[in-house]
Amino acid sequence: MKNNRRNKMMRYARIIAMALVSTFISGVACAQWKPSKPIDLVVHTGPGGGSDVLARSIAVMLEKEKLLPVRLQVVNKTGGNAAVAAAYLADKKGDTNTIGLITSVWIATPLTSSEAKVTLRDLTPIARLVLEPAVFAVRADSPFKTMHDFIEAARANPGKLKQSGGSLTSRDSIMRQALQQHTGTKWAFVSFQGGGERVAALLGGHVDMMIIEPQEAGEHIRAGKMRVLAQIAEKPLPNYPGVPTLKEAGYDVTVPPQIRAVVAPSGVPKEVVAYWEELFSKLHNTASWHKYVADNQLEEGFLTGAELPKSIDRIEDELRTQFQHAGVATVR
Amino acid sequence: MIDAFRKGDFWAGLALAALGAYIVKESLGWVYLGEDGPGAGFFPRWYGITMVFFSLLMVAGAVLKRDPASARSTLNWSELRRALGCWLALVICVALLKVLGFFIAFSLLGWFMIAIMFRQPQRIALSVSIGGALGFYLLFSWGLDLSLPSGMLF
Amino acid sequence: MDVINGLMQGFAVAMTPTALAMCFIGVLLGTVVGVLPGLGPPATIAMLLPLTFKMEPTGAMIMLAGIYYGAKYGGSTTSILLNVPGESASVVTCLDGYQMARNGRAGPALGISAIASFIAGTFGVVALMLVAPPLAKLSLAFSSPEYFALMVLGLAMVVLLAGESLTKAILAMLVGLWIASMGTDLFSATSRFTFGMTNLLGGIDFVVVAIGIFAVGEVMANMESSEPAEMLPLPKGLRNLMPTWQDMKDCRFAFVNGSVLGFLIGVLPGAGSTIASFLSYGVEKAVSKHPEKFGTGVIEGVAAPEGANNAETGGALVPLLTLGIPGSGTTAILLAALVLWGFKPGPLFIEESPAMFWGLVASMYIGNVMLLILNLPLVSVFAQLLKLPGYAMYPLILGVSMIGVYTASSSLFDLGLLTLFGLMGYAMRKLHFPTGPLVLGLVLGDGMEKALRQSLMMSQGDIAILWQRPIPAVLLAIAVLLLVVPLFKKFNAMRVQVIDQEA
Repeated sequence: MKNNRRNKMMRYARIIAMALVSTFISGVACAQWKPSKPIDLVVHTGPGGGSDVLARSIAVMLEKEKLLPVRLQVVNKTGGNAAVAAAYLADKKGDTNTIGLITSVWIATPLTSSEAKVTLRDLTPIARLVLEPAVFAVRADSPFKTMHDFIEAARANPGKLKQSGGSLTSRDSIMRQALQQHTGTKWAFVSFQGGGERVAALLGGHVDMMIIEPQEAGEHIRAGKMRVLAQIAEKPLPNYPGVPTLKEAGYDVTVPPQIRAVVAPSGVPKEVVAYWEELFSKLHNTASWHKYVADNQLEEGFLTGAELPKSIDRIEDELRTQFQHAGVATVR
Repeated sequence: MIDAFRKGDFWAGLALAALGAYIVKESLGWVYLGEDGPGAGFFPRWYGITMVFFSLLMVAGAVLKRDPASARSTLNWSELRRALGCWLALVICVALLKVLGFFIAFSLLGWFMIAIMFRQPQRIALSVSIGGALGFYLLFSWGLDLSLPSGMLF
Repeated sequence: MDVINGLMQGFAVAMTPTALAMCFIGVLLGTVVGVLPGLGPPATIAMLLPLTFKMEPTGAMIMLAGIYYGAKYGGSTTSILLNVPGESASVVTCLDGYQMARNGRAGPALGISAIASFIAGTFGVVALMLVAPPLAKLSLAFSSPEYFALMVLGLAMVVLLAGESLTKAILAMLVGLWIASMGTDLFSATSRFTFGMTNLLGGIDFVVVAIGIFAVGEVMANMESSEPAEMLPLPKGLRNLMPTWQDMKDCRFAFVNGSVLGFLIGVLPGAGSTIASFLSYGVEKAVSKHPEKFGTGVIEGVAAPEGANNAETGGALVPLLTLGIPGSGTTAILLAALVLWGFKPGPLFIEESPAMFWGLVASMYIGNVMLLILNLPLVSVFAQLLKLPGYAMYPLILGVSMIGVYTASSSLFDLGLLTLFGLMGYAMRKLHFPTGPLVLGLVLGDGMEKALRQSLMMSQGDIAILWQRPIPAVLLAIAVLLLVVPLFKKFNAMRVQVIDQEA
């Protein structure tokens, strides 16, 4: 009898103890994870390149708005059109102090390069930040006044007109392929490594047209050296009131958008992912962020959670289709 | 002919001819002339062919030139051994960086070079190599805030 | 006059205590960055960028620019003393600079480096000030066909760098071209010679190859003997620490050559200071009365490239500040910095932000003077490095090499590549292959291929574009001459020999 009561008490005590312990554990787990070491933000461009500048601006904004308790430093891993950076991130499995800033090229490169084994499915997407619009630009003294002029001239002189741009898998190249197929025309594409060279080629009259980000073109347009024929954007850009979108100009061609998003390596615990999601959600609501987006003529496109992988998959499928139509060999 | 085997030019020429042939072979798998201009295979094919041409020229020169002086000169194997030994030490140092970290790996390399290769007294070897590693650490890692390879031990 | 007014305004801005302090910090940091192999201005400027947001923009820009051209002063130090290029452009300085050090003339080499850098740097600023806008417009006329011709001219320099065996020089250059083509092709996204390794998709960094072949290869060659003598002969006495008046006279043309050529090439977006250094070295050798001495420690062979890479910084600022086009990695960051601070670099920049432009120009004059004053005494400090016994020097060189490569790329893979190129460098020395042409091929190969393919894309496959335009036609003609004339001379010499024998 005494034994039974003691056993029962022991059993109750054990149950209560276990309940307490498990609450404690889950409480600790639910407690907000905070980074304690400096965070590395990996970009695939060198210092001064597009992603690098955005990454550094993000670091400055996070500090200004006091959203991150530790320092954010930018790590440049250039090469292979983002393949090197992607491989670097993939190596950092489970690392809670490294994140990456990606663009659409991270999705495009694995499709065409067999050595670029790391796709976004091997990483953990956190949040899409912005979409980058673009414009079709020509020299100010060019004979083309509208998109129609250019396309018709291309139709009359196949292969004679020239566009300067980036690599074969870049957005300008993909847009050219899509537009050529849609209109049945053909013009040449001259790849240049750096943005400066592309602009120099256009301004020097060596090429006829280029697709350029509005923020890069801004100064040249203001100085009257460049003119815009059409814009590539979901919503019309505020700084270009008279310029039609490609669809409005009569060419209903869409290409996968140029996105900028944040990813983490795979194998990162859920609460860390939640932390990052919350961090960037807070960031995109701040005034500094809004100012940055407006100044750089980007398009707000914050997306996180379950929708994000789906949108990435969509981009990947569209890119694959585009490449195949254009005759570019795809390996995945 | 046997003389030629002794000459470095002969073997270097053969090696480079092999490299050139490899380059040309690889370039055949790439587009030579695409619709937009020369493809990825254009340049490699041409400098590969040029490489084969000049390296065979070198081989021919090594075979045909009758130069008694150079035919007699042989490789100084002990010198070569020393240089390659040092190189091997460097390779091991780099391989160990991941495990031991820069400080220890470099100290080991320094010690090896000074104590073993130059046969200096142990205290000099140890003081210079460890001092050097320390100096590097202070200057680069602490002073300039650059990251040096860090291994599991340090 | 506009320029005078602008300059007065600029000095007013640049002579304030804050601006002077910023300038000094910038050039000091730049010198340090230049001395350290591997670490370059782009990375340093990028690292400092967040700090600059708390500062006043003009002062911040003065500091960052100071790092940019200051690094070109420091880059020659390790090139001369250790045969380790501190910066990719300094690789040419290794050719004669290190030989001068071996001949006991390290001091004059370092000294003439500083002096040439000062003259060329100042020239660059003057030119920037006077001819920037019209020159910028002219530079736009330079596109792929012109670049291609320029690179071919550079490769023709192989002939001048050949030394004894032209065959070996050409082979070395071809290997350099091969290494340059490793990676992802820009135009077709094909990966070439990557051996299936993701790490090679981005190609091989120039720094890794240069440090491997020059520094590590040299150390290995020196390790052959177990009794290394005094590392390098010490210059005796203060007089031997500085270039003599004779030296200065010898370098008269080199100063002009480096300044003008460096500046002009800097103006071209994408050309780069390494090309400027090589071309300037080549021109100097071509006009020299004793070309065969180049490579053994000729002081003009140090003055010309060092001047060129300094004048190039002035030139590179031309398209940046007058057109808003960045020509190189560093200018790209400077552009980003200006934009982040709210400026608008472009054709209207000088009119709209005269304080920034002229302040910057004025600060560059001051900066160059500061650098001269800073670097000349440093010559004696660095010369102390020569007192180190050989057995201590060589491990240290290996250490510096490893750190240099690691700070540039943070990649253990690159360190592995370093050892491979070290072995290659050693093999080249043993087999008497000249190393200069390999580096030349590496630097120019990539650019040359791109320029050729871009040209053919522009002309729809018509190669005549290369001689239909005036500039490429001229440059290619010079290149052909450079290649043909030595052959001619050789042929003539052979003919004379035959005639002599018959007589």
